[in-house]
Amino acid sequence: MPSHSSNNWRNVHLAVIVCLSLVLIITGASVSRYVSEGLLSSLYYPFFSIRDYIADMVGVSQENARLQQQLVDARMKVSLLESAARENERLRQALGFEPPPGYSLVPAEVVAIVGEQASVGAVINRGAADSVFVDQPLINQSGLVGRVVHVMPGYAEIQYLTDPANRVAARVIPGREMGIVKFLPGSGLILDNFPVDGSIKPGDRVVSSGLGGVYPAGLTVGEVVTVIRPAEEPFCEVDLKASVNFNTVEEVFLLKPEGP
Amino acid sequence: MIRVVPYILYALLIAAWQVMFKDLTSIFGAAINLSAMVVLLVALFKSEVTAAWFGFVVGLVLAVGAPSIMGWHALFLALLGIVGYQVRERLNLEASYSKELFVLGGVLVHNIFLVLIETSTGVFHLIWSQALTGAVYTAVIAWLFFTIKEGRITRERVRSVF
Repeated sequence: MPSHSSNNWRNVHLAVIVCLSLVLIITGASVSRYVSEGLLSSLYYPFFSIRDYIADMVGVSQENARLQQQLVDARMKVSLLESAARENERLRQALGFEPPPGYSLVPAEVVAIVGEQASVGAVINRGAADSVFVDQPLINQSGLVGRVVHVMPGYAEIQYLTDPANRVAARVIPGREMGIVKFLPGSGLILDNFPVDGSIKPGDRVVSSGLGGVYPAGLTVGEVVTVIRPAEEPFCEVDLKASVNFNTVEEVFLLKPEGP
Repeated sequence: MIRVVPYILYALLIAAWQVMFKDLTSIFGAAINLSAMVVLLVALFKSEVTAAWFGFVVGLVLAVGAPSIMGWHALFLALLGIVGYQVRERLNLEASYSKELFVLGGVLVHNIFLVLIETSTGVFHLIWSQALTGAVYTAVIAWLFFTIKEGRITRERVRSVF
């Protein structure tokens, strides 16, 4: 049971609280504004600072993620532009490239490579719909690439000179003597059937002879690297360096015979 | 002076809650009314004068964004503390369910007061969608508080479950 004095003390407290509340109610915002400002600057201020800091951190994190994404996009664009620049360079080189007499050039793009360890062929984006035919020769600005071996409506499979099944009747420049260019998996590109007493030396150019009916005459095949003339053999051992780098072929030109 | 420190910390907790966590923890408009809950808990465990003064101060803290109605907030929460104390004195609130009902009722009354004082349209809808649901949400938090305070949830018991 509370005592009389403590009850009075309680009533004083409650009366003060009610009076203060009434003062705030009656005066409206004029007094409360100061209380509010005091509480905001003391009690609330640290929490507003923390909240703003966290919001800033979240904002920075989101900005960081957005910039990372933009960086990835920019790198991809740069990569595509570099690829386009390289393609542009190759096409510029090919622009001044003249086909052999009696032929026109049909540009094609390599879309797939054939061969497990080394490139022996490719698939191009031209086919029967573009009048591509089997045994049609292909070149690029460096020289002879190969021939078409299989034709589909929109695509064609081509055989590089590096395919061991491919043969090219060739002539050595300036000696004019002939041999057969073929690719041996162990030795690379060689000139076979070249007479042991023939006029040939390292650095000579090897071009197609036009014999055989597949490749027109005068297409650069490669360059003589070494010549060995065995005493007891009728033919030289001639190693060639192909004029075309078959690992970097991206655009080729089909040789289309002109006229009917 | 040292006796005031816990109440200053409670006020800081309420300020922190209002600024940082209230919106984060609200579910479909139903928010935890921490200020009313703390005033009712003080009324439940402390003296009438303490509950009244604490309610008054919490009312000031709660109304910093609306100075024109600060007096009403302070008066109402002071009265909530006094009424809470009187209820505690007249009813047997030993059982935890009765305490939870006590918090639920007090918070519901405060939520209805907030709806009435802060809005003018759609009052009944807000009482249903925010005041009542917010009171239930707060009562769940109060249940957790009583459960931990009375030792019904301990670290050992939680460990034994997992």
